[in-house]
Amino acid sequence: MSQGALKGRGLMKGTARGKALLSEKAFTFAHGVDPSSGDVMDVRSDIRGSNVKGAVLFYPFGKGSTTASSWFLETVRKGNHPAAIVTEGVDLSAVIGAVMAGVIYGKKVPVVSGVPRSAYMSIKQGEEVSVDGDSGEVKREK
Amino acid sequence: MHLDASQEKLLRGEGGEAKQFAMEIVSKVGDAVGADSLVPIKSAHVLAHYSSLHDAGIDMLERFANSGGKFAVPTSVDPASIDLENWKSFGIPEEYARQQFRLCDAYAKLGGMRCWTCVQYQVCNFPKGGETVAWAESSAVVFANSVLGVRSNKITSGMDVACAVLGLTPKFGMLNDENRVAGVAFKLSLDHLTDLDFRSIGFFMGRKAGSRVPALLGLGGDVSSDQIKHLGAAAAAAGPVTMIHLPGITPGTKTLSDATGGSKVEEIEVTRSDLEEIESDLDQTTEAPDLVALGVPHLSVNELGELSKMLQGKKLRRDVRMYVYTSSQAYDMAERTGISATIEQSGARISHSTDAEISPLKRLGFNVVMTNSAKMAEIVSSEGEIKMRYAPQKKIIDEVTS
Repeated sequence: MSQGALKGRGLMKGTARGKALLSEKAFTFAHGVDPSSGDVMDVRSDIRGSNVKGAVLFYPFGKGSTTASSWFLETVRKGNHPAAIVTEGVDLSAVIGAVMAGVIYGKKVPVVSGVPRSAYMSIKQGEEVSVDGDSGEVKREK
Repeated sequence: MHLDASQEKLLRGEGGEAKQFAMEIVSKVGDAVGADSLVPIKSAHVLAHYSSLHDAGIDMLERFANSGGKFAVPTSVDPASIDLENWKSFGIPEEYARQQFRLCDAYAKLGGMRCWTCVQYQVCNFPKGGETVAWAESSAVVFANSVLGVRSNKITSGMDVACAVLGLTPKFGMLNDENRVAGVAFKLSLDHLTDLDFRSIGFFMGRKAGSRVPALLGLGGDVSSDQIKHLGAAAAAAGPVTMIHLPGITPGTKTLSDATGGSKVEEIEVTRSDLEEIESDLDQTTEAPDLVALGVPHLSVNELGELSKMLQGKKLRRDVRMYVYTSSQAYDMAERTGISATIEQSGARISHSTDAEISPLKRLGFNVVMTNSAKMAEIVSSEGEIKMRYAPQKKIIDEVTS
């Protein structure tokens, strides 16, 4: 593992790179992200007003409705999805949404879990990071 | 997760495209949650409403339906985003209805039971105790685990259809005994519980339990299954609750000790001030409502009957609408027994096969919505577009009728 990298468990394969978008609170795409823009609209989110498009999205846990996978998939259909998702606990909505995105739209969204909030919050908002969904590695890029 | 030889074949595509897609979903989920195997299910319950599934959900469901997919087990479906019969009279735009009907057609092609309700256990999907099912719809999952003694995880959209097509689900979470043990106990010592109190108690538990399975003491033996339905729905809307141990009601749970497996757990007293705090959080404004929405989850025919008594001889004010949501089956029964006539003479309307929190309320021009459903108040307020008011049914009726 390269120096300074965070190590989690890869749940969806593939590699991606983008600006870090870090949430410290439980997150949901269901009523939480506007699929037609990628804007975070959940009034209870600490990153409301940010945009997930092309970002590496970090959050500790999923929450709320079991429809979050479909909201996520619609975000993919519209091309406004994050480049990768990194979580502390397993968020099945992210996993299922990413599987469907691959099968239906041929888009890869790597998903890594097992990266604690305390570890990823050492990354700065907007810092360039790369994610390897095979090895589970999350790295800062210069 | 271990797949047996026949499951491996499905993953390789030897059982057709639909089963391969389904197997890709459930095998990835199984790996993610650390399940050791797939187990058979007796029934499934899936989501097919346009407001949450969007056009991508149409692509997903049509992909299953058009590549030879058929549900392998009896499968029911959550409410649609429109009243499938009377949508025009509720002002639903044609193009919106068209997309919902594409979901309906794909679902029908897959062989699903066309009972569009979130209370399938009251009308069309009747598992018996001890069975394993794969149900979406969090409120129904709580009811299944807590009251019916049926085992279900809260199944995520997309995976619901995959499980139904395979007749299988990964063995994890609430399917394993060790995860069904209560880790926290809530104690009620309140008299005269209103309809709102049952929702607020559930909501309070959902907030406080975290990932622990809660037990609830002091509910009293005369609690109705409808009251438990609303309590469970509120708990699941507020947190990751999928089961509530109700001693004397939950199969296998006679005492708190049965629920906790004999372990000592944290006990939390539920006080009147706790419920008042929930009420003030969910009741966001004092503005007059332009819509009253009752029936999230769907009201039973008994509840429609009680409502009709409360509305007897009353008239809804002109500047407010009241929509009452129920299953198609309860709707039909209410029609035949005169309950509907009493409700509708007040100016209220009954809507079936859909529900308030998944219908396009903002598009229909509603800005302030009043309800006694904590689940609805929580879901709708999270988008921040519509202001919610949360009050007991009697108070709502007093305010909006003369």
